[in-house]
Amino acid sequence: MISLARKDVAHSLGKFIVTAMGVGMLLGIVLIMIGVYRGMIIDAQVLLDDVGADLWIVQQETLGPFAEASRLHEDLRESVQSMEGVAAAEALTFQNLQLPAKPLPVRVVAVGYDPLGAISPLNPDRLIAGRPLRRQHYEMVLSDKTGYRVGDVIPLQRHRYTVVGVTHGTVSTGGDPLVFVSLKDAQELQFAYSNERIRQDRARGIQAHDTHLVNAIVAKIRPGFDRASVADQIAQSLHKNVYTDTRERTILTKNLIKMASKQIGMFTVILVIVSTIIIALIIYTMTLEKLKIIAIMKLIGLPNRVIMRMIMEETLWLGLLAFAFALLFAHGIYDKFPKRVVLQNPDALRLFVVVFVASVLASLTGIHKVIKAKPAEALGG
Amino acid sequence: MKETAIHVENLVKEFGSGESLVRVIEGATFSVYKGELVALVAPSGAGKTTLLLMIGCVLEPNSGTIRLGEETVYDNGWTIRDTRRIRRSKIGFIFQQPHLIPFLNILENVTLIPLTDGVPAKTAERKAMELLEYFEISDKARSEPAQLSGGQQQRAAIARALANNPQIILADEPTAALDQKRSVDVVKLLKKIAQEQNVAVIMVTHDEAMLPLVDRILTIRDKKVVEKPLSSEGAIV
Ligand SMILES: Nc1ncnc2c1ncn2[C@@H]1O[C@H](COP(=O)(O)OP(=O)(O)O)[C@@H](O)[C@H]1O
Ligand SMILES: [Mg+2]
Repeated sequence: MISLARKDVAHSLGKFIVTAMGVGMLLGIVLIMIGVYRGMIIDAQVLLDDVGADLWIVQQETLGPFAEASRLHEDLRESVQSMEGVAAAEALTFQNLQLPAKPLPVRVVAVGYDPLGAISPLNPDRLIAGRPLRRQHYEMVLSDKTGYRVGDVIPLQRHRYTVVGVTHGTVSTGGDPLVFVSLKDAQELQFAYSNERIRQDRARGIQAHDTHLVNAIVAKIRPGFDRASVADQIAQSLHKNVYTDTRERTILTKNLIKMASKQIGMFTVILVIVSTIIIALIIYTMTLEKLKIIAIMKLIGLPNRVIMRMIMEETLWLGLLAFAFALLFAHGIYDKFPKRVVLQNPDALRLFVVVFVASVLASLTGIHKVIKAKPAEALGG
Repeated sequence: MKETAIHVENLVKEFGSGESLVRVIEGATFSVYKGELVALVAPSGAGKTTLLLMIGCVLEPNSGTIRLGEETVYDNGWTIRDTRRIRRSKIGFIFQQPHLIPFLNILENVTLIPLTDGVPAKTAERKAMELLEYFEISDKARSEPAQLSGGQQQRAAIARALANNPQIILADEPTAALDQKRSVDVVKLLKKIAQEQNVAVIMVTHDEAMLPLVDRILTIRDKKVVEKPLSSEGAIV
């Protein structure tokens, strides 16, 4: 038996491929959009993973460094360290920074930590060049996304920082590239005022200014101790809010990612709906375009099943080819995006199922119309 | 004893409704027998195409009966379910336009129906090639319809109608697009098929030069189908 679908597609191959490419790019964008959504959720947890702390101690009645401003005195580190069940405690700072042009200014999040401390937010696995921080001043490790390389010198405020290491995949909870600096440098960058400001403050009678602040203390628990009970202990005796790693993650996903991801999630849903409608329309019109030929087929006595098979096969091929283009397109461009895009096969599969069902429904609607049409209509003209 | 291939009784066909209702055929009763070539001659708009489409189970009459061979296909509002099986297995249609399927080559156009009916590919192709050779378009077997001239396309369409060994051939002005010599050839071929394969052929034509070749002439007068004497030299009414 002649495959009518194959013959028809071969007859207008160019048109078929261009249609599949168009549909494929549309689906590719949907895939990227889903990938952006996935990327956001993964990005949000990278820093938490890399710090790997058991407890997060933050300013009283705040939700911690990723949800709202938290300021603690750095002395608190020693108090936490001395609590029962605490193996190690370190102070961390987080702040937004703008690195100077290279070629454009880059927005980054600077993480300050003690290079000699027991807990490091810098995951050595992510280092792709150079080394971690070793000295207490004017060294910097930064994410490759910033465009800087080992040996570059970056002027920030009053000092010049030398890049000693480059990482890959390190991002803030918001997906911005990270810059690691020593705690002392970070405190100066975050809390020190310019000479001008200090002069003005003096003129107003404000004298001392404390730069010995941090945003959070992180702690590791000794084996055999329960996180929650140590957390309670610290919270009670030091009057701070203490969150376990799990709780901190929940705060992050519940409060922070929820809004952002809802935004992008809704956008993705709308995009899926719109592209499904477009694809359904394309297939429906493709079927209706054949009305005349199908009427002839009916006239010469071709049974419905043969006609339906032709349309169904063409729908299927268009769907598969479009999907191949979509995957090619998405995988070709996803790493060009400034923030993380995560393409997951289950997502692609789900999208395929949705689009496939919609295509089949559209094509069935078209077929219904075609089957109802009177064959005598072919004779007109 | 002549075997009836087509029997039509009291056939009525109307188009439109209410004010715009037109009755095209009113009480047509006639038979066509196996082995004969019948010409259907009538002025334009008389209802020739309408009549052929009703016999071919493409258009549904308003009332009356149609029998094809032993099978009743229409009886006062009742229509046989699988009209396409009837067309596929019993009828070869030749339309005013070739109506070839544009994305199939000529050979595929001709073999499509036999293959659908389960005729082995070899057999179907051999038969199709014979027909194409007869119509002198065998060199176009692998060409697409658009690459053929109008006349060649029409000959391919006739080959398609003959491919399934139909018991009835309904030809609506099959020679309109052909030159005189080819027209005569086609009509002779139809006559030969009618005789040799015991097929009933109804051929609508305007070409009086073809009339001496046919067995019988039918015409539509006062919305009814009537026989016209063969010897008629006068103008066709
Ligand atoms: N689908 C239709 N709807 C309305 N009127 C029609 C339709 N088909 C044919 N007719 C009318 O029926 C009459 C017969 O048409 P037709 O059978 O095509 O004539 P012929 O083939 O003899 O030239 C014409 O008056 C035509 O206008
Ligand atoms: Mg006509």
